[in-house]
Amino acid sequence: MTTTTRSPRHRKPAVARASRLVGTGTMIRLALRRDRFRLPAWIAAHGLLVVYIGSALPQLAPTKEDLAGISSLLSQPVGRMFTGPAFGMDDVTYERFFAAGYVPYLFILAALMNIMLVIRHTRKEEQTGRAELIRASVTGRHTALTAALIVALLANIAAAALVIVLAVMLEYALVGSMLVGFATGLTGLAFAGVAAITAQLSEFSRSATGMAGAVLGVAFVLRALGDMVAVGGSALSWASPLGWAAQTAPYVEDRWIPLVLLAGFAAVTITAGFVLQRRRDFGASLIPPRPGPAHAAASLGHPLGLAYRLQRGGMLGWGSAILILGVINGLFTQAMLDAGEDMPPQLSAVFGSEQLLDGYVGFLGGFTGIFIAAYVVYAMQTLKSEEDAGRADTVLATAVSRMGWLSTHVVVIALGSVVITAVTGLSTGLGAATVTGEWELVGSLFLAHFAVVAAPLTVLGLCAALFGLVPRVVAPVGWLLVALIGIVELFGDLLDLPEWLRTLSPLWHLASVPVEGFETMPMMVLLGATLVLLAVGLAAFRRRQVNVV
Amino acid sequence: MTTTPAISIRGLIKNFGSTRALDSLNLEVNQGEVHGFLGPNGAGKSTTIRVLLGLLHADAGTVEVMGGDPWKDAVALHRRLAYVPGDVELWPNLTGGEAIDVFARLRGKLDRTRRNELCERFDLDPTKKARTYSKGNRQKVALISALASDVELLLLDEPTAGLDPLMEVVFQQAIREVKDAGTTVLLSSHILSQVEVLADRISIVRQGSVVETGSLDELRHMTRTTVIAETDHPAPHLAQLSGVHDFTEQEGKVQFQLDGDSFDEAMQSLTPLGIRSLVAHPPTLEQLLMRHYGDAATGAEEAPR
Ligand SMILES: Nc1ncnc2c1ncn2[C@@H]1O[C@H](COP(=O)(O)OP(=O)(O)OP(=O)(O)O)[C@@H](O)[C@H]1O
Ligand SMILES: [Mg+2]
Repeated sequence: MTTTTRSPRHRKPAVARASRLVGTGTMIRLALRRDRFRLPAWIAAHGLLVVYIGSALPQLAPTKEDLAGISSLLSQPVGRMFTGPAFGMDDVTYERFFAAGYVPYLFILAALMNIMLVIRHTRKEEQTGRAELIRASVTGRHTALTAALIVALLANIAAAALVIVLAVMLEYALVGSMLVGFATGLTGLAFAGVAAITAQLSEFSRSATGMAGAVLGVAFVLRALGDMVAVGGSALSWASPLGWAAQTAPYVEDRWIPLVLLAGFAAVTITAGFVLQRRRDFGASLIPPRPGPAHAAASLGHPLGLAYRLQRGGMLGWGSAILILGVINGLFTQAMLDAGEDMPPQLSAVFGSEQLLDGYVGFLGGFTGIFIAAYVVYAMQTLKSEEDAGRADTVLATAVSRMGWLSTHVVVIALGSVVITAVTGLSTGLGAATVTGEWELVGSLFLAHFAVVAAPLTVLGLCAALFGLVPRVVAPVGWLLVALIGIVELFGDLLDLPEWLRTLSPLWHLASVPVEGFETMPMMVLLGATLVLLAVGLAAFRRRQVNVV
Repeated sequence: MTTTPAISIRGLIKNFGSTRALDSLNLEVNQGEVHGFLGPNGAGKSTTIRVLLGLLHADAGTVEVMGGDPWKDAVALHRRLAYVPGDVELWPNLTGGEAIDVFARLRGKLDRTRRNELCERFDLDPTKKARTYSKGNRQKVALISALASDVELLLLDEPTAGLDPLMEVVFQQAIREVKDAGTTVLLSSHILSQVEVLADRISIVRQGSVVETGSLDELRHMTRTTVIAETDHPAPHLAQLSGVHDFTEQEGKVQFQLDGDSFDEAMQSLTPLGIRSLVAHPPTLEQLLMRHYGDAATGAEEAPR
């Protein structure tokens, strides 16, 4: 014990620099231990995507002609918007189809994995105060961030290696597969760098995650708009890290240069993260706090007012992101119609209609529905945080009943979902009408959005039921369901997903207005299920104990 | 009305998985008294309070709070009580002032003048965001909110953990005021001087059950007093008395521990020897507790499983 060499007082400055990193090894082992299930699951998800697509494609399109038939799905502007620059679709192969249609989602997966990983091991730890004990022990100022980034690096290497090995096993070309793997890993690292910056900006892990997510969103939009302009992308595509990753053009042009850009971006952002960290105090943010009101507004004295106040931030954040996405999609309508003249019949697989415009309108409703479902799960997760932090204890120790506490939050979230859906529908419609001059689009897009709102509400019901019964699983089950809803909605027909899997998505049961006529029955069934689930949740929460592990 | 105790717990058992946190705990708190709730770490104080709040469900036993069942009548009871946890978590983006108002209003009534007065006395700036508060200031938020609510019962779980000595004085004064107004207080604390000054009665909990209850005087009576006496003649025969323990004699000075009910006998043996000086120390609360806290360590090993 007394033989430790760490005695900062006797250090020379050169060594003091290194002391900011003392304990990194221990912190890495701690992080790996804590993430021993989570991280392998994220990495496995990368592999699963490769394997699933690799084996589904030959079934979906058994011959080269079949594949050529559906390849225009990806090379059309709409397709390019949602996937990427669509290299090599005029001479399509399975590996090229894979690279053009699905690899972009591999990049997004990697980005999400890294954002959550870095924030989880840096800002979240500081916010909860756990890091305080660690920082007070023999660890340096930069230890936590360094350890988190090294863990991220390890995870990215593992994910990249897994992707490469699996792609090669599918008999995809080696060089292209290596590009896919490296681009995935480096995109991950680039967003680890983004998260290293946002972790310094806010005191809250949630807003730090949100800011990094917003950067990912902007990167996606820039790439989408850039790729929409032309096959192979345009200048705008090169303004986005996601664009660089796609510009490697695996299995077609096999470019290595964009990887340098990605690596450079990662280096710059990571350096910026460390620089910013040096400028701030432990637990503090770079955005200084301001004083607020000394007295609570009258509305805060009621459980509903309190629930609204606590949910407001998340609602505004998610709401504006969904709204912006909707408006962009709306503004895109004319470009899509222009491209529609030589639209292949297979596009109906995505839009479910020969009538291109109708199909697009219906598709946008469902698209928004996915994100509303994600918002719902996010919002319901905050209830678990309230309980874990002990704040639910304090509120429930007042005259607020269990029913009152849970139901007010649920009502606020439900109203939030409906309002976000309605506003997004209207704005998307206005965007579409502005570019096309067809004002009835406002109504039809509003209806298309309105027609799907029962699906996120069902998700809300399920989360409430889980919160009452087994609060631990609200987040994992909720996010799994959101992923399922997204996959079924976006790729259900493309991947020819089995029927039973589709029925698990509440969104799948709803009619896609205006392609199909509005149906009251499925909507009523879902709303009925929602009410039952809510009742189960409330009853179970009344019966269970609060804040017991 | 005056006959119902504010809190009455009989044979309360609470398990967390295989650990038994509360083991046939009995506790009675009379109306209008300040009841000190003491015990070593992990003894079950917080668990008891969370059962009293209806946040935890009792596995066995009867629990009554102001005549009601805390699990079933939670809301009605919570209108009449206020709770201060030992580790106050606030919403980081609300100010302290907002949090005070929220808790008090959710409870029912907020006495605005008293609230402002308490903010002043506790020297709390209510305009700061809760995330910028120190631990002591977060604690003050919960305390002010509880004290500004017009309630019959205060459940305080280490309410002053983190308060500075000056604030401790303010706290004790505030508790005396609410006590004078007839409020019942259950005060769990590790600050013995605080309990010694404030509490009318004390319960000591150890390993999930209350091992001693009573006023400080009663508890003292059950424990030994330290006596130091100087006598003209040596007094070795005193050691033979049944109520005398740890007897030592040095240069005409004797020192021994005396059972509470053996005073008379011991004094009668001492008087004939010619007492030159006599000092008797009643046990401090600390000494009282050390007996139980100390036992806790050994008791844990002996505990039947
Ligand atoms: N949610 C829980 N799950 C499992 N065990 C628990 C839980 N809450 C408390 N315990 C256990 O119950 C016992 C009593 O804990 P409690 O918090 O009531 O002690 P305490 O007297 O308040 O201690 P302290 O003075 O440290 O606050 C402890 O052994 C503790 O580990
Ligand atoms: Mg405790």
